Amino acid sequence: MRDKGYYLWLGILSVLSVLGLGAWIYQVTHGLVVTGMRNIVTWGLYITAFMFLVGLSAGGIIVSSSATVFNLPQFKPAARPAVLLSVVSILMATLFIFVDLGRPDRILNLLTSPKLNSPLIWDVIIITLYLTLSLYYLYLMGQPETGEGRLRVVAALALPTAILVHSVTAWIFGLQIARPTWHSALLAPLFVVSALDSGLALLLLVLLGLDRSGWYRVDKSLFSTLGGVLAVLIAVDVFFVFSEVLTALYPAEERLMRYVNLLLKGSLAPYFWGEILLAVIPFLLLVFRSNREKPGLVGLAASLVVIGVFLKRIWLLFSALLIPLLPYAPGVPLGSYLWPPFEFTRYYPVAWGLTGKYTPTWVEIGIFIGIFAFGGLLFMVLARAILAPGTPKESQGVSCGLTS
Amino acid sequence: MAKKYGMVIDLKRCIGCHTCAIACKLENNVPMGLFWNRVLTRGGPGLDIPEGSYPYLKREYLPVACQHCENAPCVKVCPVGATYKDPDGRVLINYDRCIGCRYCMTACPYNARVFNWQEPLRIPGHSYGSQGVPDRKRGVVEKCSFCQQLVDAGGEPFCVTCCPARARKFGDLNDPESEVSRLLRERPAERLLEDRGTRPQVYYLR
Repeated sequence: MRDKGYYLWLGILSVLSVLGLGAWIYQVTHGLVVTGMRNIVTWGLYITAFMFLVGLSAGGIIVSSSATVFNLPQFKPAARPAVLLSVVSILMATLFIFVDLGRPDRILNLLTSPKLNSPLIWDVIIITLYLTLSLYYLYLMGQPETGEGRLRVVAALALPTAILVHSVTAWIFGLQIARPTWHSALLAPLFVVSALDSGLALLLLVLLGLDRSGWYRVDKSLFSTLGGVLAVLIAVDVFFVFSEVLTALYPAEERLMRYVNLLLKGSLAPYFWGEILLAVIPFLLLVFRSNREKPGLVGLAASLVVIGVFLKRIWLLFSALLIPLLPYAPGVPLGSYLWPPFEFTRYYPVAWGLTGKYTPTWVEIGIFIGIFAFGGLLFMVLARAILAPGTPKESQGVSCGLTS
Repeated sequence: MAKKYGMVIDLKRCIGCHTCAIACKLENNVPMGLFWNRVLTRGGPGLDIPEGSYPYLKREYLPVACQHCENAPCVKVCPVGATYKDPDGRVLINYDRCIGCRYCMTACPYNARVFNWQEPLRIPGHSYGSQGVPDRKRGVVEKCSFCQQLVDAGGEPFCVTCCPARARKFGDLNDPESEVSRLLRERPAERLLEDRGTRPQVYYLR
């Protein structure tokens, strides 16, 4: 029965992955013109997903390595699923950067002619290091004979690397003088705390799923403990956002206000206020001990947090991209040209833009779903191989996870 | 002393005719839908629309292309070194190395960079640029090079040649004898978004 469900999911996710691959091939043959991105909004859904996934990845591993580093034995059962989740998320994040490139055939230039000035190269270096460490960590935890000392060393290295991996991702954006809402010293801490809450929330969801599927038993008390930690992290996240927005609002500098107004009452308001709402509700759910003891409610709160942080990635990215700093007409040539112009009268207004517009096209959504399906597939296969009982090596792993 | 090419645009002379934008497009083989050089209207909400209500009107034109910043944010962020500052002070692009990540476009405060979202389309159906203009394929970023192909052969950028109002001057900012240096000594000048600290090498005279 259970196996049937597993193969059904495997089938669905495989089909979606292949569809995503098809969408990517379509994009490669036609160029990035098939996306909703143009010359003002030069980054879109792919980079949003990249930020989001790096966060999910870093958050999981920070929580799990803390268990070893700070010697919190009650967190230990979460460690292996967390590292597995991190590995899969970071692979997905890398895929999102890859599909965003205009010339994916030249991706190796990143290795053959890297320039250390660029935060993107910092990201390549730190993600490589991070992935290596995570894989090694995962391998060590699977070996029953691994000594506690060795695990502790790897965990102690993984923890700062995970914090750095998301800080570097924040610095890709936060060091840009041209983008008022990104250019803030608070951006890296903000990213790290969002990584922590979304990563932990996803970890909780995965633990719930694993527990339900019977592959990996988790004690009920773990959910309530992690739920409490999640409540604290949400509070810190909202505090940082509040501090950031207040710092912009109080001086009310004219130029910055054009961007901030996008968030408070403009086109990004649904995402901004949505994120606030999806932080406040789970916080109110998790702050009561009686609620935390119901895994179902913890799971609900966790899914709200994951969605909320995704909304946050959206407003973070687009708040800086939608308005060019030089606000003069006719603006910026958007960069696509249809010939022959089928709708000539409607054509001219979209050739130039004073402000950016962005709606993801079905190609982008297809690739987005495809990569997430592929990630889910990878996680299911790996989780079954590594976490689920049945194989001789693994039964030991689980008991080790639960008792040590 | 090394050269530092720069441009001086006299806003009092600019008549907003867009000749520079078209000349640039022609010289540099810029495909449809893209411009390396554009003329903005400082005033009302649309092209050529003045600010205020009749008869109290105000309007000014602002030609904008790559500012060839001394402290260029785009050069800093390029992960593969495809965008670089050349020894003569120009910001140039190696189109064979660009991976199309568009990081430089988010780093540029002036939106001076444009991307080949689609297969470059030219009407008429052939290349119209002059000889020596680098070829740009789909999936790479492109922008003004101060007409490298003309300047390296001893000439001047084509927008400077074509400007009917003689509003554009080009030269070496490091040479005190050059016309651009003389104009900057004699007339008040501004640079775009000076508070961003990018130190553009394009100056606007008022």
